Amino acid sequence: MSYLEIRDLQKRYTKNGPLIVDHINVSIEKGEFIVFLGPSGCGKTTTIRMISGLEEVTGGDILVDGQSIIHKLPRDRGVSMIFQSYAIWPHMTVYDNIAYPLKLQKVPKKEIDERVREAARATEIEQLLKRYPAQMSGGQRQRVAVSRAIVVKPKLFLMDEPLSNLDAKLRVTMRTELKRIHTEQGSTSIFVTHDQSEAMSIADRIMIMYKGNIEQVGTPMEVYQDSATRFVAEFIGTPPTNFLDAKIEQEEGFLWAAGDGFRYRVPQRLASAVEPYAGREIDLGIRPEFMDVSPDMTRTDAYLCDLHVDFVEPQGSHAILITRIGSKEIKVHTVEHMNLTPGADVSCNIRKDMVMFFDKETGKRVR
Amino acid sequence: MVNRLNPIQKASVAIILTGMLLIVAIPLMCFVTVSFSNATEMSQFPKNLFPSGTVSVLVAPEENNRYTVYYDYHDGNGWTSIITLSDAKKLERHFTRQYAVTVPGEQLLKDFAATRETGEPRVFTYRKDTFYNFTQFFKIVPNAASGLKNSIIVSLLTILISLTLGSLAGYALARYNFKGKQQLNVGLLIVRMFPTVGISIPMAVLLIRMGLFDSLIGLAILYSIPNIALTSWITSSIFIGINKELEEASLVFGGNSVQTFLRITLPMAFPAMAASSMYAFTTAWNDTISALILTQKNQTLSLVVYKAIGTTSSGIQYAAAGSIILILPALVFTFIIRKYIGQMWGGVSM
Repeated sequence: MSYLEIRDLQKRYTKNGPLIVDHINVSIEKGEFIVFLGPSGCGKTTTIRMISGLEEVTGGDILVDGQSIIHKLPRDRGVSMIFQSYAIWPHMTVYDNIAYPLKLQKVPKKEIDERVREAARATEIEQLLKRYPAQMSGGQRQRVAVSRAIVVKPKLFLMDEPLSNLDAKLRVTMRTELKRIHTEQGSTSIFVTHDQSEAMSIADRIMIMYKGNIEQVGTPMEVYQDSATRFVAEFIGTPPTNFLDAKIEQEEGFLWAAGDGFRYRVPQRLASAVEPYAGREIDLGIRPEFMDVSPDMTRTDAYLCDLHVDFVEPQGSHAILITRIGSKEIKVHTVEHMNLTPGADVSCNIRKDMVMFFDKETGKRVR
Repeated sequence: MVNRLNPIQKASVAIILTGMLLIVAIPLMCFVTVSFSNATEMSQFPKNLFPSGTVSVLVAPEENNRYTVYYDYHDGNGWTSIITLSDAKKLERHFTRQYAVTVPGEQLLKDFAATRETGEPRVFTYRKDTFYNFTQFFKIVPNAASGLKNSIIVSLLTILISLTLGSLAGYALARYNFKGKQQLNVGLLIVRMFPTVGISIPMAVLLIRMGLFDSLIGLAILYSIPNIALTSWITSSIFIGINKELEEASLVFGGNSVQTFLRITLPMAFPAMAASSMYAFTTAWNDTISALILTQKNQTLSLVVYKAIGTTSSGIQYAAAGSIILILPALVFTFIIRKYIGQMWGGVSM
């Protein structure tokens, strides 16, 4: 039995209105750091708010340690939360902010003091305890919010886009910090974000949501290299996956995916899966870094097409080539051929088995 | 800062400043002077611009242990003979009433005895009892002390009623959606439109029926009517500005909804409460006409002062002192609260 179990969770805001969260099922293990990822309006925040009790559940169940929590008040659920706006109270000092939950629990004064200081030490804000929030920077306020969340020793640590109000540089440091605190506290954490690189860098597992449904749950590497749906392939990764409209043809005993300006032989491993699509349209997806370009125009079994480089965006460690297949703009990630200049002609082969096919109607991966 | 303004702006600033000086500051100054003047100064013309702290009299020794007191009205006639007395009691009364100098008669006689040595008149200067008019106001005017007490009680009751009901209504308007919310909003404005005197008469009938006529709570209810509306308007705009996550954080971290409202929402809405309480206070404290209609025995201070001004022919300085007593708490209250209102218009930082 897993630690947190979400069963058929549903949410409607108005009676007979649309399902914002549509029958979600997921289980989360103790000590895990799971990220709810998705574009805005996908239901990820609603889900975390239902777990915290701030939002009523329309249907389904949420179990913590095997016990349903959906009929409990937020304060009885043993969760703590970090809000997008930090939600630290401006009329209290940092100390009072952190001590507030303990005071309401009627913890003895001496213990409050110890625990507040301990929590402040964990987030390195000990010297700020007497200040008011207005006198602090965004990053410091964030630390106060984290201290307050850890001081209650929660069963579940909920974070609702906690880094979105910070500037880019601080965001990167804070996310490492959050992960460190998570590991030190040994807590179970749920983190909501719409930033895929943030999700990739801190998650043990990522749950990708779209329009109230779960698209995929998996480790960062799984969702990246083995995306379950077209949406996931598109959402994860910068630059995103390149998509080509292809038609499956059967010729010379092989299956071919052909389209405007390319023709690609479907690898043997996928042949049986793709075969039912023969004569039909399919989405072909390739990650930019799995497109191998060669200026000497070599062609392998996995040859896709020839490319004409329009622009080059050097990134230091790698370069992004902007090219075109048919009328579609395609981005290629290259490490070996960073010295290519605009106007160069190259051949393009897809790295072994790194092609992805998606059903046009359902968006599901074909494999 | 003035240097950066253009001529038109400079001119308007100048007009406003002189206007304030002429319309507000100078009359107020005269008024304050009157409230600190003694009876003799009141009969003087032109009157002083600043209250004087001392009184000078010329005393000449006369036969039979008597003394003649001269006073200079500054009307060009020099020292004018006022009274000739030898009795300590009468001297004391004269000095108290005419000059607001409260020195025992024996002491005066003792001082004046110095003129006997030379036989020449001499000028004596005494300190005025600064707050003579104020103490006198409470002695002379009937119901003054109880009026002050009543005014304080009514004002506090008004603040209490309008803040409790108004802030709860404001919170509901800010946080919840319900049927008829728009109508309620307009309704609140309409309530505000009625002048209190307009509703005093029907209120009198109602209060008599409820047995609250001539009671402080009845007055407070009347004053609360427009202020509940105002309070809910002011507070709802502040409550809207308070991030909902601040309340949600409290709910997650162990508060129930009452604790959250009392410990989180209310303190943050404090500037709005302060502003509203100021309005409630001024309504209750300054109103005369409703009190005139709705009370008989339990008069408020403003009504007492109003009657004192209306009925005295002489001793207007006592009524002036009463007015100062009436103004002062309102001023003090406003100044205490000012800083929170400044916070409100400056925005609550989240």
